[in-house]
Amino acid sequence: MNIEEQIREIVARITRVDKSLITRESTFKDIKADSLDIVQALVAVEETFGIEIPDEDAQKFRNFGDFVSYVEERVAQKEKV
Amino acid sequence: MFLKGKLALVTGSGRGIGRAIALKLASKGADIVVNFFRHREAAEKTAKDIEALGVRAEVIRANVGDPAKIDELFETIANKFGHLDILVNNAASGVGRPVMEIDVKAWEWTMDINARAALLCSQRAAKLMDGRGGKIINITSLGSPFVLPNYAIVGISKAALEALTRYLAIELAPQGICVNAVAASAVETEALKFYFKEGLMKDHRQITPAGRMVTPEDVANVVAFLCSEDAFMIRGQTIVVDGGTSVGIFTLGQKEER
Repeated sequence: MNIEEQIREIVARITRVDKSLITRESTFKDIKADSLDIVQALVAVEETFGIEIPDEDAQKFRNFGDFVSYVEERVAQKEKV
Repeated sequence: MFLKGKLALVTGSGRGIGRAIALKLASKGADIVVNFFRHREAAEKTAKDIEALGVRAEVIRANVGDPAKIDELFETIANKFGHLDILVNNAASGVGRPVMEIDVKAWEWTMDINARAALLCSQRAAKLMDGRGGKIINITSLGSPFVLPNYAIVGISKAALEALTRYLAIELAPQGICVNAVAASAVETEALKFYFKEGLMKDHRQITPAGRMVTPEDVANVVAFLCSEDAFMIRGQTIVVDGGTSVGIFTLGQKEER
């Protein structure tokens, strides 16, 4: 499973939204994620990929696609080190 | 500089009340472990400001809602310092909802961070304080004895925290550990701005007899006092810092009629 699919599974599990409804364009509002869902999704993704996503960065995500791209970039950076 | 040479862990000290407490204890000479979870930049800024006061600051990330992360936090402190003198259980979270909308997820999240973490941190801190005494201060709020709008779950967790304060105070007294709590009303922080923005809370200035909002520094001053030897005989108490709001509740709206 690629990074995008893994994140989609996590977000779907936490928000209890069918994963087919989560597209790269989906906003947290679209999938009715509240602030607790968002922070729990961030924490689960951090633990899955062994990265840190500070709120300062997370606040810039406009949609699910931004979230995925950010994680892909961080994972790539981590693998380089 | 009555805290010179002492080590204090302040959970959730990147921002707001925790940051003010960390800086206040540092200004009294204590080295500080700055714990944060979501805001690294803020925590690093706090650490820098602490170091500028001429004491040591150590930044450690840990979600105190997760017992395994609490273990890691205390292992790091034990390895780096080997002891602890002051623990301030300040980290808090919560979901602004009426009581009928609290679900299991919101309950567990809030209780784990606001109440269980204080228990687990205190147990581990007491071991690092063994033989040298210490202070444990829990940061609570008026949402425990009073009903605040959309605050049920946090208020309930703070009630647990205040009860924990009393039990710890008695059971840790033989080890020379003083345990107390500080309860603030609405304090001017980023968290409060969120409550205002979401319409969850009204401006408290009009209902504060002292004439202004409580600041993080007001809370920090009381924490510093409770960490001093002058407060040695205060045990298991919750000290209210609210500018008179709670005791003046029945005088609200009376001014004009007089």
